[in-house]
Amino acid sequence: MTRVLVAVLLSSFSFGFAQTGPPDIAGVYQVIPGGATLAGGLRNEGSPANVPLLPAAVQQIKTADLKRDPAKMCQPVGPFRMMAREDTKIEVAPALAHGMVVVLFEDASRGLIRTIFLNRGHSGKTTPTWMGDSIGRWEGNTLVVDTTGFNDETWLNDAGARHSEALHLVEKIRPILGGKYLEYKMTAEDPKALAKPYTYTRYYEKLKAEIQEDVCEDEQ
Amino acid sequence: MRWIAAVLFSVIAHAGPPDWTGFYSLARGKDLGSFKPVNLNLHEVIVAHLQPWARAKMEATDGVADDPGGTCQPDGIFRYPSFAGSFLWLPLTDKILIVYNEINTAGVERVYLNRQHPKNLLPTWNGDSIGHWEGDTLVVDTIGFNDKSWLQPGMEPHSEEAHLIQRIRQVGNGAFIEITNVVEDRQALTSAYTYSRYYKRTGESLAENVCAEDPQVWKDFRRKALQPHLEHSREVR
Repeated sequence: MTRVLVAVLLSSFSFGFAQTGPPDIAGVYQVIPGGATLAGGLRNEGSPANVPLLPAAVQQIKTADLKRDPAKMCQPVGPFRMMAREDTKIEVAPALAHGMVVVLFEDASRGLIRTIFLNRGHSGKTTPTWMGDSIGRWEGNTLVVDTTGFNDETWLNDAGARHSEALHLVEKIRPILGGKYLEYKMTAEDPKALAKPYTYTRYYEKLKAEIQEDVCEDEQ
Repeated sequence: MRWIAAVLFSVIAHAGPPDWTGFYSLARGKDLGSFKPVNLNLHEVIVAHLQPWARAKMEATDGVADDPGGTCQPDGIFRYPSFAGSFLWLPLTDKILIVYNEINTAGVERVYLNRQHPKNLLPTWNGDSIGHWEGDTLVVDTIGFNDKSWLQPGMEPHSEEAHLIQRIRQVGNGAFIEITNVVEDRQALTSAYTYSRYYKRTGESLAENVCAEDPQVWKDFRRKALQPHLEHSREVR
């Protein structure tokens, strides 16, 4: 009987301990409008449109065929561009006990799915992908996500700025204002395309809404 | 002893429904072991249940040209999971997400656990799914489909009246998920049909699957995958 009680108490203690771990960021979110300001003067800053390009990348943008924009072809636009969008909802689905955080997008064709692995390093796979390989770790209540392994198919912005397979993204995500919002900071670096690392900030509002089915082809 | 009871209650309350989080893939051949999926010959089963108009529509359909997945539209949840399904099972507090690998064409099945079907549902490719636990079995009820998808790759039609009931449980000591499906459609079917499939837990994550990466390559891939099933369905007819 004593052993049972000890086991139950330990189990109970472990639940209590787990509750003091990483914050629960599960939910449906959407970026606040560009002109909105939250308490403390918090507001969206920066934009993929403003990435500082190297001269060769500036030249390349002049010949970009905007009809081939992945966003217009129902293709993934990549995390750098997708996470800045104000016009679509995202769903953050943590499975911390299983070492991952999944991010789904209402606009599934352009957003696809992001799986952030918490218990491993980069996979080392040689085949570059549209969404890259994402790993994460908690620094206090901030989820830090590191993504590499991109192909060079996605664009950095609507104007057709390209990146290379050396694109490296670091995202810092933390709940603020009592968990009603996520503060989201995205930093991109790419020594072959960007003159220097570039950071933008978005504030995501937690919604009581459900993700709706959004089929890209239906819009065309 | 009251505090002991309180602690025990707390632990039981925390236990909640079973956690099957993980990646699963359709089990075939040797992977099935002793499991026997019901109605593997699904095309024949469905054809035997089609209303005359639905059978006529199927026979008039050009399988390749009318394949929605060939143009990166959804295949719907009747077709992909039973045909090639692999998915991520991801439970949240108020719903279970079944994230299909081909997210462009199969999407996500969101099973809401704490609500009923909304009134005045607008038809969608994957419909509206609600679920509840009956012991260790999740029972999922899905309605609100549009009529743009097919029941299987043989281009068997359904109507907006389609109703899918899934009974989902873990078997094989947690190595498999068994999904038993009952499909009703009073407009397109003469009676309901049932089939089951097994999905094996895998250590791999979902591979990136971009439908429109190269439209022509994708169409060729789909055509190649679809052709044997269309030929089989013509033989059945």
